[in-house]
Amino acid sequence: MSRYLFRRTLEAIPTLLGTSVLIFALIHFIPGDVTSAILGERATEEAAARIRALYGLDRPLTEQYFIWMGNLARGDFGETIRGGIPISLELSRRFPATAELALIALFLATLIGVPIGIISSIHRNSLLDAVSMFGALLGVSIPIFVLGLLLIFIFGVELEWLDFVGRIDNDISIPTITGFYLIDSLLQGNLRAFGNAAGHLILPALTLMTVPLATTARITRSTMLEVLGQDYIRTAHAKGLTRRAVIVGHGLRSAMLPIITIIGLQMGGLLSGAVLTETIFAWPGVGKWLFDSIVARDYPIVQNVTLLVAGIYILVNYLVDLLYAFADPRVRVAA
Amino acid sequence: MKRVISSVLFAVMLLAIAPALAQDGTTFTWGTFGNPVSLDSMNTTDGISFRVITQGCEGLLRFDKGTTNTLPNLATSWETSEDGLTWVFQIREGVSFHDGTPLNAEAVAWNFNRWGNTDHPEHFEEFIFTYYEYFYGGFDDESVIASVEATGEYEVTFTLNAANGVFLTNMAPTMTSLHSPTAVRENGTAYGDPEVGFVCTGPYQFVEWLPDQRVVLESNPNYWRETEGNVDRVVFQVIPDNAARFAALRAGQIDGTEQINVEDLDAIEMDDSLAIQMRPPLNILYVAFNFRVVELQDARVRRAISMAFDREAIVEAFYPPGAVVAKTQVPPSLWGFNDDIPFEAYDPDGARALLAEAGYPDGFSTMTIVGADEDGNVTDEVIDQRPFTIWYQPVVRPYNPDGQAIGEAMASYLADIGIDATLETRDWGEFLQLGRQGELFGIYQLGWSADTPDPDNFTGTFFINTTNPLPRSGWYQNPELDALLKTARATSSQEAREPMYQQADQILHDDVARLWIAHTGVPLGFRSCIEGYYANPVAEYYSTVVNNCG
Repeated sequence: MSRYLFRRTLEAIPTLLGTSVLIFALIHFIPGDVTSAILGERATEEAAARIRALYGLDRPLTEQYFIWMGNLARGDFGETIRGGIPISLELSRRFPATAELALIALFLATLIGVPIGIISSIHRNSLLDAVSMFGALLGVSIPIFVLGLLLIFIFGVELEWLDFVGRIDNDISIPTITGFYLIDSLLQGNLRAFGNAAGHLILPALTLMTVPLATTARITRSTMLEVLGQDYIRTAHAKGLTRRAVIVGHGLRSAMLPIITIIGLQMGGLLSGAVLTETIFAWPGVGKWLFDSIVARDYPIVQNVTLLVAGIYILVNYLVDLLYAFADPRVRVAA
Repeated sequence: MKRVISSVLFAVMLLAIAPALAQDGTTFTWGTFGNPVSLDSMNTTDGISFRVITQGCEGLLRFDKGTTNTLPNLATSWETSEDGLTWVFQIREGVSFHDGTPLNAEAVAWNFNRWGNTDHPEHFEEFIFTYYEYFYGGFDDESVIASVEATGEYEVTFTLNAANGVFLTNMAPTMTSLHSPTAVRENGTAYGDPEVGFVCTGPYQFVEWLPDQRVVLESNPNYWRETEGNVDRVVFQVIPDNAARFAALRAGQIDGTEQINVEDLDAIEMDDSLAIQMRPPLNILYVAFNFRVVELQDARVRRAISMAFDREAIVEAFYPPGAVVAKTQVPPSLWGFNDDIPFEAYDPDGARALLAEAGYPDGFSTMTIVGADEDGNVTDEVIDQRPFTIWYQPVVRPYNPDGQAIGEAMASYLADIGIDATLETRDWGEFLQLGRQGELFGIYQLGWSADTPDPDNFTGTFFINTTNPLPRSGWYQNPELDALLKTARATSSQEAREPMYQQADQILHDDVARLWIAHTGVPLGFRSCIEGYYANPVAEYYSTVVNNCG
């Protein structure tokens, strides 16, 4: 088992290096440069040249790449070119925002999606199955900005039940401990802040969860259908187990691998930030920041944050593999 | 277990709803579409940063509310020598920066020297000082300002290298507002960052800036002037999406905003709880000719293209209410506007006849590009033949709500007179760079929003030969115009300058140097209970706002 883990860790290194080359090449080869974003439309060519020289953007690309790698090796993420703000500081503010939203959305998606998938598979081809699968299709099809704005207008503007701007009301401040507002407010026993932060989370989480919910439900259904047709399920029924014990204990347990895989992949995706959801709900996360930085060609942000996101993706996949081993003894034995 | 979960969920819902009822009557929340870049006014060029800085930082002059007229502010009076080379300002006594540092002549001189002298210890190399370079023609010896000295405790003397008609007006915009020398020295390059903000003399002082969330300012208890408004806390709430920001206005989460989708303007008009104000137009969308295209060197071809466009239809189809068709570069709301110049009438028949006269009876679809020598003069050497191109702006600007759609309309108007044009664009940064280098071959959309309410900011910016204006003005050269605009810039009296700018626009019109398309007002949306907001294209001061929302 430990050899397996060691091998997986080693495998991550070339993947990250490859990603760093790819990111660097992509952001530097697309046309346009950072000077226009900094100097605005009044820039002179002289001022643009001054900025390029200051940030080493006039040096050969290979040299720029190795300077970046050298800084990374020292744990230095550098500063944003536009505004000169330390990137690690910004990340420490924005990543918890993205992660809190992603975890809640994925938690809800799993909590609702897996049971829907199971029920659909048990009642295959029934009205219930048709309705839930149609709902799932709708979930993957409806554009995020349409759903987000619809929820805002219904629950935010017309009913005035829920907040939809940012993470918390402006008159409430929570001293940062973890950066997760739900946790920080509870740690400080500030129930008002907790309620307010939770209220701000509901609409963006509902918006963000639709795609993973639909995907999870569909994957659960198809995997369960496959598993429930197996001989050992018939044997389990024959030996007199209750229906629940058969479905949960034998069926779901065997269907877990693909479900864990799909949830893990979605987790990796969501943690890299959800540009549309963050834009609509003014959520100060990583996705919108990264998007703006690409537009502005703020190279240090794009390079470092994308690499970090890739690292998180790899880490999540790694954890998924560990869960495999936990869920499926054959993986343990093979390892 | 189920009961516990449902009780917790119910409690969360209750707690979530309750605080929404709390609303502070003296807070003014402005919904902004983006995050500021820096709160040091000389280290940024973007409107969002300037809007925040304007509420807390002041210059020697300020704008009268709702107009582009200037008033004394941190300077109480000033005198200029007859040759316009020496300016002596009397500085207001008893004013302090937010950190208690006294405002005196030393502090004023320190600010200007910091911006203009590259060897000044606080002229940080990471900072851009773009507007100093732009307002005063460069740094150090290149700057029109030769020296700034404290000649008394409250007297500052500026010595100029050349008389400059815009010098005084440039003391009013946010870019030249004064910052505390102590705060800049103490914070170094962190000055203007989210952790530090600004330290100035204005009615509001910096409280916090959470990037992509909000900037909060609160009343300066020691402000030197009585203010009209009742707002003691200003919040800039970042909501990037236009529709979501409008929803926040309807829900009362913000008190005012801009960049409202055109389709939402009708909703505001029908809703008694909301109101619209129009920020007057002080901008222009133009179409420039690249004079390294042989076909465009013929004034008859340029006139034909001008006559081919139905500007009224373009404004009607693509612009929000408040936009007007342009006939000069200087907008009608600014002094120096020449109302005697006629609008270019839409006349496709006349355009076709002119094209035929110029030797293109069947129009054309390709263009011939010639070179430029080292001095920036256009040569006769043919370097390329390409499809004739219309470059459209890839970004939305107040003066250009939809570059692509307007470009497509222009292409169809040109097709109507026989000119077959290809549409092209680039990433905005590259587009600007190509524009600066004069390599947008064909005709191209670009625009301008005023930094300062002076016709020099429109006409002088493009047609005076300073750093590299020939390429960025599409290689247009006109010595008569250049001389006239230089004289206008070096003249102090507005009465003397006004006819010069009117004549300049007449020359541009006669020469068909550029096509003027539209000047655009910007609709602002408010809750009806907000009063005392004076929409102004150069600076909007929130210290006059009265919040009656209760």
